[in-house]
Amino acid sequence: MKKLLSLFQASLMALPLSLAVQMNATAKDLKDIKIAVIPKVAVPFFDDCNNGAKAEADKLGVQYQWVVPQNTQGSTQVRILEDLISKKVDGIAISVNEPKSVEAAIKKAMASGIKVLTFDSDSPNSGRSMYIGTINSAAGETMGESMAKAIGGEGEVAIITGQLGAVNLNERIDGIKKSLAKYPKIKIVATEGTEDDLAKAVSVTETIFRGNPALKGIFGVSQVGGPAVSKVMATKEFGAKKGAVKVFAFDDLPDTIKGVKEGYIQGIMVQRPVTMGKLSVEHLVDQITGKEKSPKNVDTGVNVVNSQNLDSYTK
Amino acid sequence: MEVGSTSPSRWSALSLPRVLLGLLRAQEMSVLLALLLVSAGIALVTPYFLTTDNLMGVFRSFSLTAIMSVGMVMVIVTGGIDLSVGSVMGLSGLVTALAFQNGFPTVVCVSFGLGVGFVFGLTNGLLVTAGRLPPFIATLGTLSIGRGLMYIVTRGVPVTPDTPEVFNAIGQGYVGLVPAPVIIMLVLATAFSVIMRFTTFGRHVYATGGNEQAAWLSGVNTSRVKLVVYTLAGAISAIAGIVAFSRYLSAEPASGFGIELDVIAAAVIGGASLSGGVGSVQGAILGAALTGIIANGVVLMNINTYAQQTITGGVILIAVSIDVWRHGRKER
Repeated sequence: MKKLLSLFQASLMALPLSLAVQMNATAKDLKDIKIAVIPKVAVPFFDDCNNGAKAEADKLGVQYQWVVPQNTQGSTQVRILEDLISKKVDGIAISVNEPKSVEAAIKKAMASGIKVLTFDSDSPNSGRSMYIGTINSAAGETMGESMAKAIGGEGEVAIITGQLGAVNLNERIDGIKKSLAKYPKIKIVATEGTEDDLAKAVSVTETIFRGNPALKGIFGVSQVGGPAVSKVMATKEFGAKKGAVKVFAFDDLPDTIKGVKEGYIQGIMVQRPVTMGKLSVEHLVDQITGKEKSPKNVDTGVNVVNSQNLDSYTK
Repeated sequence: MEVGSTSPSRWSALSLPRVLLGLLRAQEMSVLLALLLVSAGIALVTPYFLTTDNLMGVFRSFSLTAIMSVGMVMVIVTGGIDLSVGSVMGLSGLVTALAFQNGFPTVVCVSFGLGVGFVFGLTNGLLVTAGRLPPFIATLGTLSIGRGLMYIVTRGVPVTPDTPEVFNAIGQGYVGLVPAPVIIMLVLATAFSVIMRFTTFGRHVYATGGNEQAAWLSGVNTSRVKLVVYTLAGAISAIAGIVAFSRYLSAEPASGFGIELDVIAAAVIGGASLSGGVGSVQGAILGAALTGIIANGVVLMNINTYAQQTITGGVILIAVSIDVWRHGRKER
């Protein structure tokens, strides 16, 4: 039944395409279009991207390839890009490990007629057609607004981040600061790095609680924040902070979800990897068939997941 | 510190406080002094430092590094180094977690975790002795293998099984006011500082690092000493891994990543010499305490996060330099 449906969909899709072929001489038949998607590395987040991208490719009837780099070095992705250029694929979507190192390879691909876009992690000066992903500063603003509402627009808050040098995390922090600027009675008393290490994050959280007894809110801008804060609040010493200190975290790790269920965390900003994958394939195909002439960046946004929508949110 | 220059023979009347003081010879006294000065400084600035909760929290925070530094300092005293401790810690915690996930009883899960540490430690020891590899290379290899295995098994997702309360007490429990990990640290530190100072094995460890050839010629089986020391370091890292997992109940693929540097630093700040023959367990614990207290202080005082590492490094350099200048000690 599913096959029949997709056949039906494919024939529907083919209809406008045949029109497109007549209009655009360079356009290809959908089944001849080869799309490659390159994640940063094999982690669950990208499994979701793959699922979204694969489903969209199947739906459109294009050829699809998922190429996983063995490590996070910039050079590995450069090699993969060069392989794909020699293989003459038609479109590439890539989540960039090292924005600078892939610039030349992406330019080369674009020059040889391959459509390239970035998703999740961008390389803004590479000449790629567009970026699809979370605009981190916007996500930070959403987080800041949620916090301001939760603590009634006044009080001390702290930020727990991961690597101090991580561009995406710093953009989130900038977003938080921008949104909190509207609330002069909210004061950011501490911003602490954790190197994304749970043990460090727990000890930093404890120390922040001790050093700032009047604290009313904590932002966990990297993925360790949520698990760390809920673990600290689960102890006898800091049990009274549960609910009294509002917590907003990033990414839906199992422990973070548990933190929401148990009332330690008021909201999680969840990115939309499935949507990123789906849109990447959709936009590449549109660019290859000539349907999309002037691509613009797409913000896939974040879901604010809380105890009410915990079981129903989509990625 | 006149205590330091007193020769050990003066301590022949072995009263307990005298033994304790004797354990803190010159090099440890300087670290202790630095520790007290730094603490006094932090206490002057922030009222939240000298509270029971905070101090116990600090002890618990640095206990993992301190526990591992017990094994590390023995390896360093033999003139070696063990870079794999962080990976072994992480992998042991992970294997323990996986055992719980598969429904094994606590004793079995913990044994699996310890087993991982034992096997890795023994492997390190064999590579260094029978394999004649430089310790740096041998343990760099096992570091990568251990971390790689963690990524293969977890694929980046933390393992978070349900665990019985008995097990959770290892990392989260208290004995009176003192957190359980701190008790474990104290027990290990006491046991191994006694072993290192008062047993034949301890003397052999120092002899191996002081002058391996001379030790060998005077009848010390230096290969066996090294094998034992690396195996102990592995097993002790596994204890740290199990404590960490019990504390956080989440075996993270990045758990223990990079911690080997903190552990080596603790041993060296506490007076160990990377060229071997010099160092002590109690010094390593004090070294871990110094860095732990600085880490706590910079957060309590709300020092700008981007400046924290620089300040930490500066304080450590000053603290250790004072000691070196005072004693005109050999370079570490």
